[in-house]
Amino acid sequence: MNNSRMFMAMILGAIFRRRSRALMAVIATMVGAATLFCLAAVCIAVPQQMNEDMRPYGANLVVAAIEKQGAEKTGISDAMVAHTTSMVRAKSSAKFATYRYETVRINAAPYMLAGIESTQVRALNHHWSVQGSWPSHGAVMVGSDVASALGLNVGGNVTIAYQSSDNGGSTTSKTTQDGRVSTDILNGGGSTYRVAGIVNTGGSEDEIVYATNADVNALSGVKRGADVIEYSSSAMGTDLTAIATSINDMTSMGVKAQTVTKISSSDTKIITMLQTLFWLISVVVLALTFVGVGTTMTSIVSQRRNEIGLRKALGAPNSSIRTEFYTESVIYGLVGGGLGATIGFWLARLLCSLVFGRNIAMNWWLVGVAVVLSGIIAILATIRPVVKASRIDPAVVLSEE
Amino acid sequence: MLLELDHVSKIYGDLHAVDDLSLSVQEGEWLAIVGSSGSGKTTLMNIIGCMDTPSEGTVTLEGRELNDLNASQLADVRKNIIGLVFQKFYLVPHLTAVENVMVAQYYHSVVNEKQAMEALSNVGLAERAHHLPSQLSGGEQQRVCIARALINCPKLILADEPTGNLDEANEKIVLDLFKKLHAQGTTIVVVTHDSLVASCAQREIMLNHGVLVGERWNDEAAQQRYVDAGGEPAKTRHAENSKQSAEESSMPVGFDTITKSAKAH
Repeated sequence: MNNSRMFMAMILGAIFRRRSRALMAVIATMVGAATLFCLAAVCIAVPQQMNEDMRPYGANLVVAAIEKQGAEKTGISDAMVAHTTSMVRAKSSAKFATYRYETVRINAAPYMLAGIESTQVRALNHHWSVQGSWPSHGAVMVGSDVASALGLNVGGNVTIAYQSSDNGGSTTSKTTQDGRVSTDILNGGGSTYRVAGIVNTGGSEDEIVYATNADVNALSGVKRGADVIEYSSSAMGTDLTAIATSINDMTSMGVKAQTVTKISSSDTKIITMLQTLFWLISVVVLALTFVGVGTTMTSIVSQRRNEIGLRKALGAPNSSIRTEFYTESVIYGLVGGGLGATIGFWLARLLCSLVFGRNIAMNWWLVGVAVVLSGIIAILATIRPVVKASRIDPAVVLSEE
Repeated sequence: MLLELDHVSKIYGDLHAVDDLSLSVQEGEWLAIVGSSGSGKTTLMNIIGCMDTPSEGTVTLEGRELNDLNASQLADVRKNIIGLVFQKFYLVPHLTAVENVMVAQYYHSVVNEKQAMEALSNVGLAERAHHLPSQLSGGEQQRVCIARALINCPKLILADEPTGNLDEANEKIVLDLFKKLHAQGTTIVVVTHDSLVASCAQREIMLNHGVLVGERWNDEAAQQRYVDAGGEPAKTRHAENSKQSAEESSMPVGFDTITKSAKAH
């Protein structure tokens, strides 16, 4: 046996042959580590889950075409939609939908008509309440306010007219499609569509009529790109802002990106609250762990006063006494931290399963942090008892009756 | 001389735990320090064992004056020159007998399990080497303590009431071990209030309230060697005052009486 093995024999002897005290130190660390791990795991999982849950409730990033003054509206071309989408998806997963807006006339009154791909918009807006069905060829979906104003019902018909002058152009100069240009409704023209559904969102969408892009193209006689692309990205906060900034920085794209602050700030607020709560509880748990480990180590040192006195009488320097106790303490910390992380993981898993109905995966990075932090806390909590131990006077201790 | 105390005092406020003691111990000598509880013998042992420093006077061990040494240097002297044997054994409870012996090696230099086993074998405990102290009898624990004290080949064995917690049979075993060590040339200083243990020593000195009250040689040949080496009788101011009466007798005044009194404690 060499000195290193003797050192380990002394440490392991102190741990395994004085199991009750060792167990107390391990349990104190374990409880702290389990609580911290569970909190941290939930704090990481909840925003992710919340983000995923919030995404069906609409877009958090809107990209609009920059139209030049006086120039004809061309919208965002399909190629640019693909390019912008690839930029957004480079940072995180995202769903998107394009919208082409035109002003139309129904019973001479102006209304907003949106040309959409139903599947895209539907995937983006799970919260929309649709009575009937989504737009299809020859059938439109009208907002509930429009339906109410016009007395429209699902299955009924609506005549929609397109006037180029309402959309910043002149009727005569328009390029025609299918050999037709929509006429002024006052002249008795317009196209009739079946009302496939009525949408109710509680928002401005209730004032819009939705048709397929193909129908809008046919009605206007012009095929052009979308005015707006809405994205529901899994990125949040600064990441989302960074995406918007990166798009805006590329001025040649001819689009302007903007985060939808309503949803983003709501997310951020909840996450900030969660994180504040996490830090508060963490500080309390850390303090309790510190006190628990410190008290146990004080008790261990006190119980081993004679042994420390003897070691010093045998010539042990203070540094050696300190090293032995710190090593012992680190072992308690690491074992407690490891066990705590395991228990914390299962607690977090149970919590997430009960609250969110989903399982979380083991976060090994978090395990490492929990174990190392437990070791550090154990060392810090041991400083005071160890300083006390190194001050023990062997003459006094060994003379005690 | 291996150990020299020159007018050593240890003073706590108004209390003189050791009062102006001068004492020399020759290499290879066996000295017993006797006295009742509170007589200052443990304080004296702590001073000799480098676990305490005197308030006054100087202590010289192996020609090195200890007064100016700091705690770390005293610890070095302790581990290199002195072997300690305690009344209450003070074995590390979570280490086996052989590990307890190796602890002394560990703090001294390099651990050698073979040597530790030999030391245990020398005290008749080879077969109990891997037992914990709680599995050993008092006598066995004291023998482990002695093996630990001897493992680094110290010049001086300091034993504080080494048989205080032992029955007669174990007391005899321990005394036989000391006799064997002494025969091998080890210097032994034993603090005791047991007259039997004290009588095994070549010289006895008696303390009472920190003051030397008597000195007696049990071995004339050893005394002669001591005198030949220039050794002087132990003394304090109090002893010098009663020198006259001491010279009239072969032993200091009242030695037997005080020994009996001490034993009664």
